[in-house]
Formats: sequence, structure tokens, C-alpha cells
Amino acid sequence: MRRHAIGILAVCALLSACSPAGGPRSAEGIITLSEPESPFVAFNIWVRCGSQDDPKGKEGLAAFTANYLSDSSTRNNSYEQILEKLYPMAAGYGANVDKEMTTFTGRIHKDHLDAYYALFKDAILAPAFREEDFNRIKSQTVNFLKQIRRFSNDEELTKELLFREIYRGTPYEHPEEGYVASVESITLQDVQDFYAKHYTRNNIVAGVCGGYPEGYGRKVRADFDSLPVGTAERAARPEPAPIDGIHFLLVEKNIKASPVSFGFPIPVLRPDRDFFPLMLFNSWMGEHRNSFSRLYQVIRETRGMNYGDYSYVEAYPRGYATQVPPVNVSRRSQIFEVWIRPIAMTQPGTLHDRTLFALRAGLREVSRIVETGMTAESFEETRGFLKNYTANFGATGSRRLAYRMDDSFYGYPDPGFLASIKPGLDALTLDQVNAAIRKYLQAGNMWVVIITQDAEGMKRKLLEGDADPHQLSGAAARPGDRGG
Amino acid sequence: MRVFLGALFLLALSGGSAAEGKIFPFEYRLVQLENGFKAYLIRAGASRQIAYVTVARVGARDEWEPGRSGYAHFFEHMMFRGTEKYPNYDAVTSRIGAARNASTSIDVTQYYLVASSDSLEQIIDLESDRFMNLKYMEPQFRTEAGAILGEFSQGRANPYLYLMEKIQDTAFDRHTYKHLTIGFEQDVRRMPEGYQYSLSFYQRYYRPENCVLLLAGEFDFNEAERLIRKYYTPWKPGYVPPQIQAEPPQTAPREATAEFPGRTLPILTVNYKGPAWSAAEKTAAAAEVLGAVAFGPNSDIYKRLVVKEQRVQTLDGDFGLSRDPNLLTILTMVNRPDDLPAIKEEIQRTVEKFRTDLCDQKFLQDTKSAMKYGFLMSLETAQGVAFALRSFAVFTGGIEAVEEYYRTLDSITPEDVRSAAQQYLVENGRTTVILVPAKEGTK
Repeated sequence: MRRHAIGILAVCALLSACSPAGGPRSAEGIITLSEPESPFVAFNIWVRCGSQDDPKGKEGLAAFTANYLSDSSTRNNSYEQILEKLYPMAAGYGANVDKEMTTFTGRIHKDHLDAYYALFKDAILAPAFREEDFNRIKSQTVNFLKQIRRFSNDEELTKELLFREIYRGTPYEHPEEGYVASVESITLQDVQDFYAKHYTRNNIVAGVCGGYPEGYGRKVRADFDSLPVGTAERAARPEPAPIDGIHFLLVEKNIKASPVSFGFPIPVLRPDRDFFPLMLFNSWMGEHRNSFSRLYQVIRETRGMNYGDYSYVEAYPRGYATQVPPVNVSRRSQIFEVWIRPIAMTQPGTLHDRTLFALRAGLREVSRIVETGMTAESFEETRGFLKNYTANFGATGSRRLAYRMDDSFYGYPDPGFLASIKPGLDALTLDQVNAAIRKYLQAGNMWVVIITQDAEGMKRKLLEGDADPHQLSGAAARPGDRGG
Repeated sequence: MRVFLGALFLLALSGGSAAEGKIFPFEYRLVQLENGFKAYLIRAGASRQIAYVTVARVGARDEWEPGRSGYAHFFEHMMFRGTEKYPNYDAVTSRIGAARNASTSIDVTQYYLVASSDSLEQIIDLESDRFMNLKYMEPQFRTEAGAILGEFSQGRANPYLYLMEKIQDTAFDRHTYKHLTIGFEQDVRRMPEGYQYSLSFYQRYYRPENCVLLLAGEFDFNEAERLIRKYYTPWKPGYVPPQIQAEPPQTAPREATAEFPGRTLPILTVNYKGPAWSAAEKTAAAAEVLGAVAFGPNSDIYKRLVVKEQRVQTLDGDFGLSRDPNLLTILTMVNRPDDLPAIKEEIQRTVEKFRTDLCDQKFLQDTKSAMKYGFLMSLETAQGVAFALRSFAVFTGGIEAVEEYYRTLDSITPEDVRSAAQQYLVENGRTTVILVPAKEGTK
């Protein structure tokens, strides 16, 4: 990233005003998107650490530290004073921690820019590390893990467990917020140590977007340069173990509707040549919360089995809460993932049978598309859709800025991912898409996670059933089912 | 005709740039048709995008017939089933790459698309057509009932749903706010049999006088007006107001416990009968402000219980108002079950305090500033702008009231806040509902 940024600086020095007005500017450690008409200013401070950096036995420490910093006293203001000052501005700031990235984001109306930024920067640059703040955050976090997380969102659970199985033995294995035992063991000293190790000058990229005054980016960067230089090593890229066959994790719970997640690693990342082919295929197969896609049509639309069915080629945490892709969850390892929302008892039969049917339908769609490839018609249709749909991904200044931070993570060349989508899709051919499908998709080696009543009963059905889980009975396949 | 002149007047006032002294900074035009349909054209948001938000002023509130709860929400699903002209709604939206969705709540069913401005005519055609000419057969209706049940079941894993169900059912006797938007379970399970009823629902509520369009983004006003007149004029009026029973005054405090079949920290709610939303009535605005001042994140009780003493996980004073009088709710997730009585006491003490003492003037000013900037901060995207105006359209059938509402808000004094507390935070108007985990072995 450094080399790239220096390249830009050198070019700009030679050709003055080379960047279009309002275009992104990127120098070492600072990204700025000037939008002078906007009454808002958005901030994004990216710290290069995530749950992959949690020490053993302290899983959840990265998330805990970020939550702590964004919700505690600073050396200049007590927590109560911070809340009091933010209140009339109707503003706040928060942190998001994923496997590799930690981002602190905030947004303010121009009327309050200076007062707000003073508070925002202190959260990261001048934490007070007070015991009472630590106790509050710890109590909230432990309560959340013990009482809430496990019991109120089964859909997220299947996805979380899918990642855990696929990434066993790697730094991606554990959930970002950690486990009850590991979080209970976190001390204030742990937080301070983690902060000292990772929150260093050369480990941070700062970003500003919107109607900020001239020179603001330089000022922000100078503030973050006050942090010490650090020597934290980047965690090694996770190498998930190859999966041999279809492995099931059945989670027993007394519920009336069973969610299913299945998936396997794919070695394709955003800047790779095969990314746009896979992105297009994935949109056809299971575009998030869109109803025209293949999986949705087969499972929900035709058969009314559940609320929705989607697929992903990039991590999509908390999908239930959003219509557009999450930002700042960039990773060096991705999986292909199918999310089958809870299958309910909407018709006679047993829940086990209906759930396994939905799973088989999903697997069948994956093997079929590998076999047949997409047609020219569906390719063009999907491309037309995606070119327009992705226009909405950068609707806000905060998101436009976040995408630029992700560009920085991936070393994505200018003009950045968002601006590259349309031309990237335009340049695609059907052959490229089908070659990517053949190369990376398959339905024989993966993990499947199901939450179900009577897990033993489901296990028996799986073991005693057809040897090939892709077989569907005659009643299940429908005449007129169309392939890709 | 008068309304049309009104629209011109507004346009002149706005003058193409943010008008002085107004809170809503964007230019807009009202297009009103003979059949009662109203469309607001608003210039705002990111380049070459439009947000097309149709507000149908129908929700759980309108489900007054017994056994028919959940139909407004069910209908939201059916609206995507197609017409003769466009038998596959999603094929059209996917072709133009529109993001689209809908949602239902107690007072409103809203349908929205966000798309490129180039798709303006296609969208006006598509939306006007399904609002006028929706067509679906019984088998499709039955299949969708399955998806609704799926949504219902998925919600059963959420303790808040159990809680809200209990609150509304306990606090209300007659008014349709007694049930939640998703409906009573027995009504949802019976839905596959309700095909004929669903058609009559459509005929009565999906009429031009009962719907408002909020169209925000970058597009030509004259062209949009021409298209709206062209496509929506054939829509026949025929709205039949629901026969909602007024809720009789509550005469004694009520209590209930909801049991959640899973683990959860106990959640305590104290709910008071409140006023209907109003742009002009000071008592309504003061009730909203009271919630923030007495129980919001900067209130004394919050600082104490959430921050300092950490006896509760969360504390919220949601005094947001509805179209008809609904509840002012104080909600808190308590860390230890044995602390419940003491926390209840704390809430009661705070209620008493606001009934007797005047709130701090500076804090009141900060609260009003927070409400104002909260509104302004939401006006970033075309969709954000349309959504920010939505509740005005739901409650009043138009967006003009936004100015009066913020003027009224601005005029609230500490005396007004105290009067609201005295009027609404009364023992006989109170319903206390607690959610606890179900005991082992039961259910």
C-alpha cells in the first residue's frame, strides 16, 4: 500500500490538479473524499487489527478493546461529559471489529464539526482507561454473551458456526466477540496491552469525507501521527483445511423452524480477475434479500418454505439487518456461503424432512449450475440488474469512505472498487463466468450447519437416506423448473 | 383546485434553494389529483437516483374485524404477486436494478424502490399499476401464507416480540393497537383460508385517497408531474374507513408477565396511555420531549442505572406517538432478576419527579437541539429524505406539517414538559409488563 500511495503522490507532484475535483486522494495513512456541497462530514479510522489478533484464551479482546475505546472516558472528558456534549449534536461514534479490520466511524453536521472531532479523536488517541468504564463494558459484554447472543438469533448462529467449522485451527475460528470464558478472563491490563500493541501510528489509516474545510485531512493525519510507532506483526493469512466430503454440524434446540447454512472456502478476493465473474454468478444464485434470484425462487417462491434464501462470495455478517453489503469486513480468506432462513412447518410433513429437502434443493442448485453453466439470457439479465443495483452501494458519504478503506486493505487499484464495478461487469463474458463457476463451485465438499429439534433423529435420517444427498424424490422436483 | 394553488405557492416560497427559517431544506412540489391521490416531488439526495416511497395509510390499526389481525402485513407481501400488465413484479425491478422492499407497522404499509433516475417512468407505471390492478389467484395466496408463517416463526426467537405482544394485549381492550402488526398466531395460521377477505381488504384500503407518494431524488419536476397525472388518474376512489373502536379510558393500573421460551435477562416495561401524534398540539410534542428528558440516554436515571451502577443493560424512554393514542413506554433490561422491584421503584421515583419538578432548562434546549439535528442528519440520501418525511404523510396525509411540528417542538418549555407528565404519567393509565424466561419444564 505504501508504494502505491507514494506513486500517486509523485504523479500528482508532476501534474498539478491531476485528481478530478472531489475525487479521492490517498497519501500515506490518510484518505480524503471532498464533497463540498455536503452539510455532513464522515470519519473512518481504520486500525489494522481484528479478532484474528486475539491472544489465545482472550478471544474477543480486539472487539472488547474497540468497544471500550468508543464508549468510555478520555483524558479530556469523563464518559458523562462526552455523552452530554454529543447529545445536542445528535451524533455519536462507534467501532466495528471483524476478523481483520477494526474501524471507528462517526458522522456529524458541519455546524458542529470542531466540537465533534475533538471528542471523536480523543476516543482513540487519549483513552483514560478508567476502572469504572472497564467494569461497565465488561458487565455489558458478558451479559450479552451469556444471556442474549446465544438465544435470540438462530440465523446468525448457523452462519457463525459455519465459519467456526471451516476455519478451525486458524485465527478466523472464533466469533469476533469471543466466548463467555475468554471474555470473562479479560482484564483492564489486557485492554491496555492490546491497545499499546496495535493502536500505533503506522497501523492506522484515517479517512474523512464530505464538506470539510481545506487542509482538514492533513490535520487529522497529523493528530494520529502522535501515536507511537509500533512493531505489531500481521497475523499470517488463515489457511482453512481442505474439506473432504459433506460434513454436518447439527445443533439441537427446541425450535419450530430450522435455519441452515452451508459453504466452503474459495480462494478469490476482490481485486482478483475472477471476482467479477463470481460476483455476477452469485447475484444470479442468491443476491442478498432479493427475490428474483435462483435459490429464493426454488425454496421460497415456488414452495413457500421460508422467508428467504441467499448466497455470498464475500463475508456478510448481520445480513438480517441490512439491504446493502456490510463495509469494512475485508478479509484475506473468503468462503462461498448459502443461507437458508428458518424452514417452517407450513405444510404437512415433518420439520426434519422439510429442512433436509430445502438443503438438498440448495445443494442441487449448486451442482446443477456447475454442470450446465449460466445461459446467455440469464447472464445479460443479471449483468443489467447488477450494474444498476450496485449504484446504491455508495449512497452515503460514510459508505463511500468505507469502500475506500476497503480498497486500501486490498490494494485495489484506482479508481477503487465502487467505481470499477460497472466497467468490470461490462467487460465480462459468459465464458468467463462459467469458467469461474466450474473452477470454484462444487457441491461435494463442504460444511453444513443446521439448528434442529431432535438432532439425533435428523442424524439418523441423514445416514439412512440416499447415499447421494442431491437426489430429490419425484414429488419434490417440479415440471417447468428452469436451470441457469 | 385550492390545493393545486397551494402547491404553486409552496414552490414559489421554496424558490429552488433551501428557504430561510425552514427546517426542511429541500425544494418540493405537491401534485394532487381529483381522485384524492397526493404526490410530493422532492429535489434531494445523491446524483441520478430516485427514491419512490408509497405510503399506504393502513396498518395493524385498521384490522378491526375479529380474526383478521395481520392482514395489512400479509397484504404487503401480496402486493408483490403481479398484475396482468406486469405478472412478475421482481422481473421488472431486477431488470432496472432497483433496490426494493416494503414494511408494515401499526399505522402504515410503505413500499419503496431506490433506482436510477432513468427508470422514473418505468417505476411510475409499475407502481401505479399494482396499486390499481393487483391480481393474484388463490394458490399464490396460499403459498404466500407459508412465507408469512415463516416470518412469524422466525420472530418467535426474539424475546422483544413476546414482550410487545403482552404489552399491547394487556394495555388495550378495544382499540386495534391491542394486536401487533404480525397478528395473533391463530389468525396467521388461518390465513390460507382468507383469500376472499384479502381481496376486500385491497378494495377498501388501497385507494388513492388513502395513499401518499414521496418521490425524492434528482429528476425533472414537470416530467414527473406529467407522468403521475397520466398513470394515476384512472385510479378510482373508494376508501372505506375502518370501524375502529375508541379505547375506553383506563381506570386502574394493570400488570402482566410474559414468559419467553428461551434465555433472556428480565425486561421491565412501564407503559402509560399517551396522546395521538400532533404537529400543533403542545401536549403531544411535550410528551415526546418528556421521554427523552426523563428516560433518554442523557437522563439522570440512565446515567445512574446504565453507566454508574450498571444495574441495567439498557434503558429506553420511547415516547414516540402514533396516529391514535398509544403507549408511552419506558423499557429496561435488568441485569439481576432480584433487582426488578428496586428498578421499578427507581422508575416510579423519576416519574414523580417529572410530575412535580421543572426539568433543567439547558437540558431541555439540548434535547430540542438533538431532535432537530437528528432530523437534519437523516437527510443525506434520497431514500433518507423520503423516509424522514414518512411519518408526516402517515399522520396527516401530507408533508407540510414538518414545519409546524418543529416550530411546536421549539416552543416547548419546562412547564409544558411537567404538564405532559402530570397529564399522562398517571397511575390509572399505567400498564406494567415484565418479560422473564419461562421456567424449566414449562412449555
